[in-house]
Amino acid sequence: MARGLTREQLGITDAMIETYGEAIFLMSHNRQTREGDPIRALNWTEIDRQREAMGLADGQISERLGLTHGQVMFIRNTEESRRFRIGQQAYLMDLGGGKRFRPERVVPLEQRFRYGENALALRAALRFDGVRAAEFIARGWWSDDTLTKWLARHETQRPKAVALVHAGIDISWRQLAERVASFAAGLQSAGVARGEVVAVQLPNLPEFVVAYLAILRIGAVMTTIHMPYRGAEFETLLRHSRATAIICLGQEKDWSPAAAALTLRSAVPTLRTVIVLGDTPKGALGYSALQAASAGDICDLPQPAAGDPILLLYTSGTTSAPKAVPHNSHTLLSNARLGVPEHCVGPEDRILSAAPFSHLFGLYALHTSMAAGSAMVLLPVFTPTNLAQTIDQDKPTALWTAPAHIAACRSGGLFDNIDFSSLRLAIMSGSACPPALVRWLATRLPACAVTQLWGMTESQAALYTRPDDPIEVVAVSAGRPSPGAEVRVVAANEALCAPGDEGELQVRGCLMFPGFFDNAVANAAAFAPGGWYRTGDLATIDAAGNVAITGREKDVINRGGHKFNPREVEDLLDSHPKVLQSAIVPMPDPILGEKACCFVTFRPGADEATLEELVAYLAEHNMAKIKFPERLVVVDEMPLTPTRKIIKSRLRLPD
Amino acid sequence: MALHQSRGNDPASAKLAIFEYCKKRGALAVGVADLDALQRIAPPGHRPKDLMPRVKSVISLGVGGQTQGTWQMPAKAMAYSGSTEVRAYKVAYGCSFFIEQRFGAPTIYVPPDIDPEGGPRVPFQSLKLHAEMAGIGARSLAGDILLHPEFGFMYYASVFTELELEPDAPMLENPCPAPSCVSMYRSIGRTPCMKFCPAQCLDGEIDAEGRQKVMRYDMAKCAEFTQEYEAVPKILAEAVKDEVRSNGAEGLLDPDRKMLWYKVSAGSGAWFAQCFECMRVCPVATQAPQSDPILRTSASREAARKAES
Repeated sequence: MARGLTREQLGITDAMIETYGEAIFLMSHNRQTREGDPIRALNWTEIDRQREAMGLADGQISERLGLTHGQVMFIRNTEESRRFRIGQQAYLMDLGGGKRFRPERVVPLEQRFRYGENALALRAALRFDGVRAAEFIARGWWSDDTLTKWLARHETQRPKAVALVHAGIDISWRQLAERVASFAAGLQSAGVARGEVVAVQLPNLPEFVVAYLAILRIGAVMTTIHMPYRGAEFETLLRHSRATAIICLGQEKDWSPAAAALTLRSAVPTLRTVIVLGDTPKGALGYSALQAASAGDICDLPQPAAGDPILLLYTSGTTSAPKAVPHNSHTLLSNARLGVPEHCVGPEDRILSAAPFSHLFGLYALHTSMAAGSAMVLLPVFTPTNLAQTIDQDKPTALWTAPAHIAACRSGGLFDNIDFSSLRLAIMSGSACPPALVRWLATRLPACAVTQLWGMTESQAALYTRPDDPIEVVAVSAGRPSPGAEVRVVAANEALCAPGDEGELQVRGCLMFPGFFDNAVANAAAFAPGGWYRTGDLATIDAAGNVAITGREKDVINRGGHKFNPREVEDLLDSHPKVLQSAIVPMPDPILGEKACCFVTFRPGADEATLEELVAYLAEHNMAKIKFPERLVVVDEMPLTPTRKIIKSRLRLPD
Repeated sequence: MALHQSRGNDPASAKLAIFEYCKKRGALAVGVADLDALQRIAPPGHRPKDLMPRVKSVISLGVGGQTQGTWQMPAKAMAYSGSTEVRAYKVAYGCSFFIEQRFGAPTIYVPPDIDPEGGPRVPFQSLKLHAEMAGIGARSLAGDILLHPEFGFMYYASVFTELELEPDAPMLENPCPAPSCVSMYRSIGRTPCMKFCPAQCLDGEIDAEGRQKVMRYDMAKCAEFTQEYEAVPKILAEAVKDEVRSNGAEGLLDPDRKMLWYKVSAGSGAWFAQCFECMRVCPVATQAPQSDPILRTSASREAARKAES
């Protein structure tokens, strides 16, 4: 007997355990075999014959082996402990209540998913203020909404209703759900694990929607890459997001995203899988092959949770260094769900986004359509003609668009030739809306409610006018906060501005991202006390609470101590008959510090205007002389974000 | 024996009185095991006389297990509603006092626990062997869990006494495998208990007559589900060498592990036999004629009436 004796007192060595461990383990009761029913039958011959097979006690083993009883017990216990896996009872949690063990469905505990280091880092970035979060939950803003649940709900309740419209073909909610389930299974078989980031660079195609929902279904996170992005941006975003997979086109015009991604696998350590829509080069996986996977394989996959990260988006390029914005279902889907009644959209609507899904404004359209159960009309690539033809052919009732889209259609004369009458709602966002353009559209489409929306990658839709707002409000403001959002305008000293006074717009609420991923420096500067996010946009608030975006704080020009916002100058220049787009940026000046430099593109077929001519135009319209541009740079094309905002940081002053 | 005789009780009536006592207090089945057979089958150190040198009789009793509803419960909760071994111990405990008071024979309630000199997994006595020899259970293909054709799956307790009682014989027939299990085995090569065991620790064969041919049981695998107490030292060891977490104590307070500490504190012994899956799918355990508690009560009353008459 052991009686508390130590291993040394028992004379046990590692060599003994190694030598006898296996035999003692098998001879003991750990493995039992019984033939027939000898004990009940008191068949003594068989009882004695089978004694060892039925399992021996330690004393019996000790007699058999010639070791002491204590040695046998010590070795047996050591061997049992060595083999004993803890936590196995967790399997039982899945059983009972009608569920039975199915060996083919069991994933061994040791092989069950564990979040990787990068996935945990991303999850760690979703750190919200607990008091605020409790309020969001108590007020019903944050709930258990996920896109997976919304898809399942529509599939169950309206399986045959139209979910997507592409090129005149309708895809029902059931068909969409089936495709998502299959592609999710495909992603899983391709090794994409929960919590990992999957980059997507696709046009607004059904495949984008399927990929997005499938990524979320398996608990992974999507990051988008705008279609115009090429090698340098590709590598930066893939590296920073720690993406493990990318879904992209085989060929895009004269460039192969697939080939580039395959090449980048050696430079981006996390990138393992390249999934290609279209021609699939060697080493990549075909999108269609993954789509053909068996959907049954994800039946037992845990449902994603609302608190899981779902998107990692990069700020749209209006800042010089892209910053990664993580969102979960709480922030994005509460904003979309609460926005549905505000925008007055419902399941009978057909929503078209002119903005790409790679941008959050485009995804907001998708989120809204899924919240409302509306059909999503897809426009793969924006051109004025494509947009007009899609509206004419697929008859959307609601349009998510940027002012530049409308301006382009207007200048192309498309409103005269194409039927836009299906539209009953147009939401304009993505850049400052020229009031004249808003008024023009409202007049041109009298049955369509024109609204303005302001949002950021950090917030989705924070401000918007409502469809029943008068045109005077819609033309000059981005409206009032979305449900669950709070805004304020503050001066440089953080004091609240009086109504009508310009200051920095700050936002907080259930829609806001919690902070940039992996960017402590940016986070330190991004938030004011109280959780207010410093948007960097200049704004005024009128007495009714309508917010007018007046410019970007960083665009303010400091001319010898006199600071001015160039937005109003740009708006006026844009109304010049020869000017297509203008952008005023500061240029260094040895005496004044900064002066205004105007970049401009001219309308097709128009003669170029001189600086003097434009200044005269400004003077004619009573613009203050201090705000006149003092240099003119003519460019063929403005650098634009996917939502048609001018990227001023890319405007370089010529030597 | 001397005491028993001095009070003028004959073994048969003493046995009857003891059985009556046990059944009135909730035992469904009671029997007396053949002491000599037990001494021969049990290994040294675990024989009745190792615990009570002057034992003359080994009484085994079984109490009922589960209601029909219990079998539908989630596995994680089933142990709490389904484990009724404490009731068996209570009856045996009372029975030992009853025998001493009525017959003056020294008696013990057999501790249903592990032998501290044997380490984990080694009991003082095999209550299963006692019950089998007393004819109130037969070994099943489900890891030798005892089954009774009338009462299905029971919990057992034992009493050793110096009172000499006539032993009963083991069951003539083994209710395992049930006809439906034989059919399933003929079809897929496995019985329900083998198929649905979450540890996949059961295996076996059925002969041409529909009887048990071979039973194979991987107790080590089963123990990983049913004897989680062995996890405690592993958890401690892991926590101490935990290099991922900044603080080893955090590992000790994981929700899963906290639950184990709760169990330690509660001392309920519920770490044992938490898994009921083989019995959940066993037709004998769940559909035995008197596994239904109402029928069972009626039958017990009827048996008591007959005994009295």
